[in-house]
Amino acid sequence: MSAIELRALRKRYPPREPGGAPQDLWRGLDLTVDEGEFVAIEGQSGSGKSTLLHAVGGLDRDYEGEVLVLGERLRALSDARLAALRHARIGFIFQSFNLLAELTALENVLLPDYFGDGVPDAARRARESLERVGLADKASARPTALSGGERQRVAIARALLSRPPLLLADEPTGNLDARTGEGIIGLFRELHREGMTLLVVTHEVRVSRAASRVLVLREGALFPDPRLEGSA
Amino acid sequence: MRPARLWKLANANLSRELGALAVSAGGVALGIGCLVFFLALGRGVQRVVRDVFPVSARELEVVVPQVGIGSLFGDVRLDDAAVARLRQIPGVAEAFPRVALRVPAVTRYNGPFFGREIRMGLEVVGVGIPSELIGADARLPFVDPGEGGPIPVVVNRRLLEIYNKVFAPQRGLPTLTDSMLVGFEFPIELGRSYVAEKTLAGAYAARLRLAGFSDRAPIAGLSMPLQAVRRINARFGQDTGGYSSVLLRAQRSEQVGEIASAVKRMGLDLDESERNRALQIGAAVELVTLALSLLAALITALAAVNIAQAFHAAVRERTREIGVMRAVGATRVDVATLILAEAAVTGIFGGALGVLLARVGGLLVDRLARTGLPQFPFKPETFFDFRPTHVALGILIAVVASLAGAFFPARAAAALDPARALSEG
Repeated sequence: MSAIELRALRKRYPPREPGGAPQDLWRGLDLTVDEGEFVAIEGQSGSGKSTLLHAVGGLDRDYEGEVLVLGERLRALSDARLAALRHARIGFIFQSFNLLAELTALENVLLPDYFGDGVPDAARRARESLERVGLADKASARPTALSGGERQRVAIARALLSRPPLLLADEPTGNLDARTGEGIIGLFRELHREGMTLLVVTHEVRVSRAASRVLVLREGALFPDPRLEGSA
Repeated sequence: MRPARLWKLANANLSRELGALAVSAGGVALGIGCLVFFLALGRGVQRVVRDVFPVSARELEVVVPQVGIGSLFGDVRLDDAAVARLRQIPGVAEAFPRVALRVPAVTRYNGPFFGREIRMGLEVVGVGIPSELIGADARLPFVDPGEGGPIPVVVNRRLLEIYNKVFAPQRGLPTLTDSMLVGFEFPIELGRSYVAEKTLAGAYAARLRLAGFSDRAPIAGLSMPLQAVRRINARFGQDTGGYSSVLLRAQRSEQVGEIASAVKRMGLDLDESERNRALQIGAAVELVTLALSLLAALITALAAVNIAQAFHAAVRERTREIGVMRAVGATRVDVATLILAEAAVTGIFGGALGVLLARVGGLLVDRLARTGLPQFPFKPETFFDFRPTHVALGILIAVVASLAGAFFPARAAAALDPARALSEG
């Protein structure tokens, strides 16, 4: 069964100059990601990788075509239902971590519990998530007191709080050194082995190597990467 | 979004923006402080006006019209029959006839006066009233003692205030209380006037005994038992069998209008001079209070504009954070609710601070008035009347103003495109 389906996905930006032609970001993307797959999408800056991730996460619905995620047609969902989908079934990880500076690591992990109907047994799960990413002893630390790698691991723990079946990651190792990045990639491998579906946008080969499938977004279309495909 | 979680997030955001919050809350506090201060001042001054010009909403003063067809023909009289008819008017609970002392009278007192020697001479204006009108205010029997006995008199309490605050300090006389004066006797010469040609034949000496002080007694003159005044008037051939006026007391204040109409249909008139004076002063105080409250409302509105600016800036700064919240499951309503909750907290703090400022301001003004202003009649202990409703109203308006200020920023935050927020923030 597919976790993600993109059907003839097109997105255009308005012309940069008056009278110019609209810019095509995607020219009819088709993609199916099966449940439990770990797919990496590579591409140059500005190729639309992050935008694609936002579309899959329902954060951006300004496109033509269809995006189906976990059986839901995103364009048809109300704001509340879309929020509920993100809340319970999709985890997000960002390049710049996006932690709230006023909250402790534990409180940041608990952020999804603040919204909607909350997360069942959230406090216990949050501690488990922190333990899983190796930060159980940093629960009371503020983000400013954590290293870049630690912050990203807190962000991953936050994404895992609801135990979502789908994890979307946007350049998750982009701001980390090689050694710290390896730790994050190891964690992704572990989640993949446990059956989680991962869609990771990256321009780092070491991340792509961990994926079960690698695609390249180039000139508005997705191409399989023959160098790395199936290397995981 | 659950309230405890909402509070936690709002609190975290507010603590981050403590400086901006203090400015916003300070603006609200200033507006609300002024509002509560002026409202309490208005109520306090109204209370003073009511003390100086006590007007019952249930009472009417009935008099014979000075010029009227009825009075020309002599068929409009305030006699016992008229009083009986007035009592029959629907809604009238009680009727108290009054009769003026129609002969001149003077008092001359040379002697000790609470530790001082005084020499005093006054023309006396007297009015006869039924004892039921003053009730327990008369602390000695308020009945006509007949010829030879001291006539009990009751004085309006405001006269004692004027004596204590104006007359006594100027003349170096002692300050007096009700208890000190009750039972005090002084002479009166009935039928005599300091204007020689007004003195009547048969003028005679009598004594007056102060029986008490009452707000119910007319302010001009001494109130004596009705029968005593009628007896004195009759002795000088001045008793017409009629009354000078009749005080009507309605069962309920809403019935006063209908009673007034019925009185006028009887060809009688109403003396509303004191009521009108009190109403005019009251209206002037209301007007000033309203104007000052509008000024305070304007300050509060400006504070709301300041809040709008502060929250607009906060939303701009927190664009990425809002994007993250949306990504982890916040709805548009959650985002708007969070901003409005922060505004409500700002309003509560601002409102509470404003009420506190108003209270402190009131205490300072009262202190200044006590030490800086000279004594004057009816000078109150406090010029303010702070009420729990002022606190509630102040905080409510502060919250409403803050919510109004944060409304558009909250709407803008809710409308943020989460993808763009994450990219641009």
